[in-house]
Amino acid sequence: MSATPTFIDTARSEWLKFRTVRASLIGVLTFALLTIGIALLVSLAIKSQWSQRSALDRLAFDPVTTSLFGSFFAQFAVGVMGARFITSEYASGSIRTTLAAVPRRVHLVMSKVIVLLVTFFILSEIVVFAAFSIGQAIYRSGALPSASLSNSTDLRAVIFAGVYLTLLTLIGFGIGLILRTTSITISVYVTLLLIVPIIVNILPSSWQDHFTKYLPSKMGESMLSPQLTQQSFSWGTSTVILTIYTIVIVGVGTFLFTRRDA
Amino acid sequence: MLKIDHLTKHYGETIAVNDLDFEVQPGVVTGFLGPNGSGKSTTMRVMIGLDRPTNGRVTIDGKTYDQLKAPLREVGALLDAKALDPKRSARNHLRALALSNRIPLKRVDEVLEFVGVASVANKKVGGFSLGMSQRLGIAGALLGDPGILLFDEPVNGLDPEGIRWIRDFFRSLAKEGRTVFVSSHLMSEMAVSADQIIVIGRGKFITSGSVADLTANATGTVFVRSTDASRLAEVLRGDHGDVEAVNDNGLNVAGLTSDQIGEAAFAAGIVLHELTPQRASLEDVFMDLTADAVEYGHKNMEPTP
Repeated sequence: MSATPTFIDTARSEWLKFRTVRASLIGVLTFALLTIGIALLVSLAIKSQWSQRSALDRLAFDPVTTSLFGSFFAQFAVGVMGARFITSEYASGSIRTTLAAVPRRVHLVMSKVIVLLVTFFILSEIVVFAAFSIGQAIYRSGALPSASLSNSTDLRAVIFAGVYLTLLTLIGFGIGLILRTTSITISVYVTLLLIVPIIVNILPSSWQDHFTKYLPSKMGESMLSPQLTQQSFSWGTSTVILTIYTIVIVGVGTFLFTRRDA
Repeated sequence: MLKIDHLTKHYGETIAVNDLDFEVQPGVVTGFLGPNGSGKSTTMRVMIGLDRPTNGRVTIDGKTYDQLKAPLREVGALLDAKALDPKRSARNHLRALALSNRIPLKRVDEVLEFVGVASVANKKVGGFSLGMSQRLGIAGALLGDPGILLFDEPVNGLDPEGIRWIRDFFRSLAKEGRTVFVSSHLMSEMAVSADQIIVIGRGKFITSGSVADLTANATGTVFVRSTDASRLAEVLRGDHGDVEAVNDNGLNVAGLTSDQIGEAAFAAGIVLHELTPQRASLEDVFMDLTADAVEYGHKNMEPTP
């Protein structure tokens, strides 16, 4: 009929599957609205309160991080979308149709990873740049200190906010690959991002210094801050460690996926 | 050539398939028959690589399914018509399948047209009836124009017109030289739609052959009527017949031919009013063959996918 299919063909198939369900569109809109909407709210609130701020508070003001604050809400939207990219196939049973078409399972996982990686990297960058720009425009309109993309440190913080969200999408996908059920996957994902930090918080403070910096959300903070944040790794080290987390989780998921009956 | 090579599949303690070993020939419709829970679906899931065999393997021209580069162009399978994302349209579902195996996209509209769902191609499949989903599943199986086609209980959910259509369709596929392998728990369905039949029960091979072979080898019973039925019964039992009284005058006799019964009656001086061989139907054969293999306990049911 025609030539042997390659990796590109399976990736095209997965991309078509991603974009042809309305849930994807709704998820992407939620993601964008959360990130940009929170940038809008936070910067407007800061602008209106500016005159009451003490000089010390004004000095501590960080226009970059405050405009990217929505990323910590958006991380749930992207994680759920990453997870659902595999768990919805188990929920409907369509995983069996998918595997009949692409029986090489590592191949299939890699196609899905590529689709998520490319799609969410592009989307996340668009969304965080939009959030940053809106925040800065509002700060400038109130004559507050503002950041600019011509400053390489600020530019890096914005870019790596997008990288953080992309990695979290893949972490959601990897947990989904391991657990297969949407609800359980989301519970675990939320626990990892919200509950574990609370537990770490009640540990003795000498332990906290050791544990806190390994939390994904803490690494996110350093990735999207221009300055070095407290109790954390540098943005570079954080990116490397979070990437290792992602590879391990997706790797374990892929291993289990190749062993299991569908 | 589709070859099932000493296939065994365990699910925990349950043995779903036990050392199945057979080949499926091209050019004919092969029926895969067994009671519910006998391992038909498990066998088919292993065939397309969904489940890993515990032992043995299934090969397609010498290769296992996951070694096929473009599996949909060699094997088309319809195992579960509802194994689809309900939120995606029929056309997009098929397009995704086509892309993954590098099948030209124009083929999608051809198969949609062929199975008669083209008018609802852009509707979400979640709203489809089981019959429509079956047709869409058949479209998916045909997408890559494969030489081997596998169907698990394809007539389920089809109306009588659909059943007739699918029978003719299987025949025409076989006539084109393809391998057509169809499972069913309904003997009556297989009797009219299959050329060759493979019977399994409790995961084990029981027998195989053409419909005619299977019924020919089965020993039918003979119905005999006489006013002196009780004495006749004694005489026939003496000749090692298995006699069952049907009514006051009638007996059903197994293990003796009508000739033997007539001669025995004549020798004993008994008048016969009727002597009728009862032809074994494929249904009877099936019931006989699988009588020991029907499993009603929940433990041996096929796992729900």
